[in-house]
Amino acid sequence: MQSLSATSAAGVLLDLSGVLILLLAFACLGSKLFNRYVAYYGAQSVVLAFAAGVAAQAFHSAELWILAVATLAIKGIGIPLSARRLLVQRLDLKRDAALSTGLSTSLIAGGALTAFAYLVTRPQLLPHGVVAAAVVPLSTAVILLGGLAMVVRRHTVAQLIGWLIVENGVFLGAITLVATFPFIVEAGIFLDIVAGVLIMLVFVSGLTRQLASASASELKELQG
Amino acid sequence: MIALMIAAAVGPLTGSVAAGCGARARQAGWSGAAGAMISVACSIWLLAAELHRPPVSGWGGYLYLDSLSCFFLFTVAAVTLLAAVGSVAYLAAEEDIGRLSAFQVRLYFIFFGLFAALMLAALETGNLGLLFVLIEASTLASAALVGLEARSSSLEAAWKYVIISSFGVTIALAGTLFLFYSASGLHLAPDLRLTWPYLFGHAPALAPESLRLAFLLAVVGYGTKVGLAPMHTWLPDAHAEAPSPASAMLSAALLNTGMYAIMRFLAITRARLGDGFPRAVLLTFGFLSIVIAVLFMIRRGNFKRLFAYSSVEHMGIIAVALGFGGVLGLYGALLQTLNHAIAKAVLFLTSGDVAVRYQTREAAGVTGLLTAVPVAGGALLLGSFAVLGSPPFGLFLSELTIVRAGFAASGATLPLLLLALLAIAFIAFARTTTGMVTGSAPVATTATATVAGGPPLSAPYRGRWTGVAAATPLVVGLVALLILGLWIPAVLDAVIRHSAAVL
Repeated sequence: MQSLSATSAAGVLLDLSGVLILLLAFACLGSKLFNRYVAYYGAQSVVLAFAAGVAAQAFHSAELWILAVATLAIKGIGIPLSARRLLVQRLDLKRDAALSTGLSTSLIAGGALTAFAYLVTRPQLLPHGVVAAAVVPLSTAVILLGGLAMVVRRHTVAQLIGWLIVENGVFLGAITLVATFPFIVEAGIFLDIVAGVLIMLVFVSGLTRQLASASASELKELQG
Repeated sequence: MIALMIAAAVGPLTGSVAAGCGARARQAGWSGAAGAMISVACSIWLLAAELHRPPVSGWGGYLYLDSLSCFFLFTVAAVTLLAAVGSVAYLAAEEDIGRLSAFQVRLYFIFFGLFAALMLAALETGNLGLLFVLIEASTLASAALVGLEARSSSLEAAWKYVIISSFGVTIALAGTLFLFYSASGLHLAPDLRLTWPYLFGHAPALAPESLRLAFLLAVVGYGTKVGLAPMHTWLPDAHAEAPSPASAMLSAALLNTGMYAIMRFLAITRARLGDGFPRAVLLTFGFLSIVIAVLFMIRRGNFKRLFAYSSVEHMGIIAVALGFGGVLGLYGALLQTLNHAIAKAVLFLTSGDVAVRYQTREAAGVTGLLTAVPVAGGALLLGSFAVLGSPPFGLFLSELTIVRAGFAASGATLPLLLLALLAIAFIAFARTTTGMVTGSAPVATTATATVAGGPPLSAPYRGRWTGVAAATPLVVGLVALLILGLWIPAVLDAVIRHSAAVL
């Protein structure tokens, strides 16, 4: 299988992007303002697009270039912009009060999850010295942090951002596997995300109209 | 063959196209039913042809069909047909009463066809990445159905469904990634990338540590779609809030599609890691699901929630059967899948009929169904006994097979536990449904409905054919269950045996 070595220039850049993406996930977990959630997600997606570009250059793959550009345009610009316009500004969201734990607790839990991600994934990877060995633990950690953000935050918009971070984590892992991941599948995943965001936007605005506040803690009509 | 496969997958889209062109409930519904009929016909044809051929593979592994996918294709297509015919009656009644606008009715048929087509396509692909893409897309299409009625409770259910399921399926994608990491020691030919037959054929060369993680993530991820506890929390809400024919599709088709994905991972994992690890995982999730479902079934309330928890229970039983393994266990699991799909489709369609007539989804508000509406009452009574596994219906046979597989595989404790749980489920479930069926018919409901100017209780359906559309799937489904309990057709038996051999 084609794979980048960890010491090549592209490998180092990918590794660095992975670290940045993880840090941005932490930043999102540690903030309390809706504007920041969206901004950190957007920045994370831009870094991801950069990583995809690096991989495209290294593998000489035109398909990956398309993917990198699409990531930049849709995830880096399109989704953050529309989330800000349609959700944050229109619903007048400022401070997120619907947190089930304090920020410091969730950051500590995030640190523990990152350590856990390394513990679980390090022995799984076969060939040492390839970039995947460095990036996969990072991407697993990003997935877990996104999940944590979804659990800790009860506001529907914050949960949506959490899911998008999870998706970025999976994408980061997939980039290192480009040699085996066919383009149609990557494109399909992309389409799913876009459609998912659209549907969720509809639900969130519908819920807000009916509930005045779209915090999932108010969603308690259905129990048992 | 490939043309047949494509026809089977795109068949249900006829309803979407009709609705997209502006057809009303009846026309769109009937064209959707005709499309589902095409799918069923194609799937039966494929089923019969598949027995004498090696698996079909095309388009660089994107299309792949073996006995297992044929079997699931037939199950999902049959459920789609039952639900499509039921949709005609349900949506026409809702449209006539004015509870749904013409726009909502059109949306319903567009997403219903899309949902069915995406699931059928998911069963026909050999590429595990594409499998993820199609299952996630079917989640989104069905979320639109769940939120269709746009009440705050249905939006809440739809939100819960789409966020929990999307997250779950994303976890399954991470599992898929780890499966490929486990294959990174292999030299994959470019056209075989990510395909199941290739990975299955080279299972002994996969890295065990990574594969273990992949299987666990896939069970948790796709298990969210299947409704295995503790990832089942979206399920009762979504099933209760969706229009009833859509609930039938969720319970009898979508859950099975998720289970199919787990089976694909299971086959690879078993081939590499042996029986022990997958058995432990599946038995744990399976029994947990059964216990939690049974506990919630004791609560009386919304009857659609009751049916939904019964789906959780049955998915748990199928997971347990897969965990027991062996030819008996796999045979039982597949037979149970088909039987449960038909029985649950009948029950949810009946619940739609009841909800339209009584205008309530609470079990306490429904009495005397057998006197008021003999067809629906009979279907509810027989359907509940069928789904609870009493003879002579098909589920009795499949559950018996599963218990026998348990005795063969793991001693007496687990099968006895399973039997005890089934008995509790029987009491809890039958207590509610017999209460709905027996008693005196509600005269008062009829009177208020007439006073309010609405249609009287006994006749929500305008036009003879709409009433027929409501009753047909119930009768057909029950007859099929009865036949499956007494006699398994030779073709079906052979296909299930072949599929068990694939696993």
